[in-house]
Amino acid sequence: MGAALADGADLEGAEAVTLSDHARRNRRAWTEFASGYAERAPRGWARDEITWGVWGVPDSELRALPDVAGKDVIELGCGTAYQAAGLTRLGARVVGVDVTPAQLETARAMQAQFGLEFPLLEASAEDVPLPDASFDVAVSEYGASIWCDPYRWIPEAARLLRPGGDLVFLVNSPLSMLCAAYDESPPGPKLLRDYFGMFSFEWPEEDEAIEFHLGHGDMIRLLRASGFEVEDLVEIQAPEGAQPLVHPAMPSPEWARRWPSEEIWRARKLG
Amino acid sequence: MSSSDAERNRAFWDQRADDYQAAHREHIGRPEPRWGIWQLPERELGVLGDVAGKDVLELGCGAAQWSILLAAAGARCVGFDNSERQLEHARLAGAEFPLVHGSAESLPFADESFDLVFCDHGAMTFADPLVVVPEVARVLRRGGLFAFSITSSFAWICWDDAVDGVVPALQSDYFGLHRHEDADAVTFQLPVGEWIRLFRRCGLVVEDLIEPRPPEDAVTTYGYDLGWARRWPMEQIWKARKP
Repeated sequence: MGAALADGADLEGAEAVTLSDHARRNRRAWTEFASGYAERAPRGWARDEITWGVWGVPDSELRALPDVAGKDVIELGCGTAYQAAGLTRLGARVVGVDVTPAQLETARAMQAQFGLEFPLLEASAEDVPLPDASFDVAVSEYGASIWCDPYRWIPEAARLLRPGGDLVFLVNSPLSMLCAAYDESPPGPKLLRDYFGMFSFEWPEEDEAIEFHLGHGDMIRLLRASGFEVEDLVEIQAPEGAQPLVHPAMPSPEWARRWPSEEIWRARKLG
Repeated sequence: MSSSDAERNRAFWDQRADDYQAAHREHIGRPEPRWGIWQLPERELGVLGDVAGKDVLELGCGAAQWSILLAAAGARCVGFDNSERQLEHARLAGAEFPLVHGSAESLPFADESFDLVFCDHGAMTFADPLVVVPEVARVLRRGGLFAFSITSSFAWICWDDAVDGVVPALQSDYFGLHRHEDADAVTFQLPVGEWIRLFRRCGLVVEDLIEPRPPEDAVTTYGYDLGWARRWPMEQIWKARKP
């Protein structure tokens, strides 16, 4: 796969893609969000190391990624593709997949600006028009990992990975989702939702986007049922001295020092 | 016997055993294997699988209510507890298999001697898991299963001393969960990610994390709030296997 994609050309195949209702909704929502993310994209692309999540914790500290040099890597829900760019700089042959054309447009603009090319593919991570067993590593950070149905995208990631391949993805922690307010205020200590049955989350005030979040037991069972061995769950603590985030609905540094706001799952495809 | 925590918890359980068994005998002495605070049936949760003909170690067996039932189902059981007084209750209850006295931090068994090591709110709460899990991995045979129930980290951080129970709000820190000491005893808990890393470090494969939800009509003698437990996981049952 990697060699076939090495020319950096965008991949064709969107016509073959099927979109679920929530994928269509999220594509509409992300078309709206895209201009805001375009403004921020250069900052992500300029980073000289891979970091994870809203607190920007370096991967060198979390050690969530395997060695990606010379590996075929797919980023599922790449958005403006800043992670894909970082992975490319580490020597990976990366393909970025995203369902929102406006986000991919920003990614292409960044590729031109930073002189870093890799293939971009318009598709939902729930149905990726690429062959089985074509990647060594699949990565998602606030991409497919929260905007796609986990019962669809995780089996799809398993299909795309070679035996022994690594799946690494960042999501909001269940605790932060249960404490998340319905308005634009940050989570407090109160549990506002039930853990049992947690799955899809909508924000009526804001937009039509729909997120997906599973509890820990459900995620472990889904990974196992999809053919993965669970390797790690890195629950991210905001670093000491972390500055408040711009987005009003994000947890405060004080909250995220005490409780995990984000977590990274690491799993390996059996075989 | 190893640490001062183990000494302390032994004294606690030796002193508490009679009252504990009197208070909970009816609740935990059911005629079929059941798990935890709400005594949820093993036949529904399916944690242990078929135990017939297997060498089974129960960590923190107390009066061995569990092992007595598994022995009747054909398991070769060993009951293990840090409290001699608890093991006395197991003898009185008619346990006819070895009952071994000691701390789970140092298991007096040969490498690879069990097919199943399990614990229902026992030694995995009252002994340091960072020490116990490597010991369990050592005494398990290849293909063997380690399964245990504990109070969830979720319930732990929602515990409010003021009401002596769980409340629907985060009360204490999640990061750094490990050892908790109060006037009575020393108990242990880990964040979910720490459990997973601990299993992996010890060469165990994470097989499941069951977060049991009690039914509407569940009862308990442990004084926990069913309303809370219907909404958030009060207990965790981990399954890890030695490949």
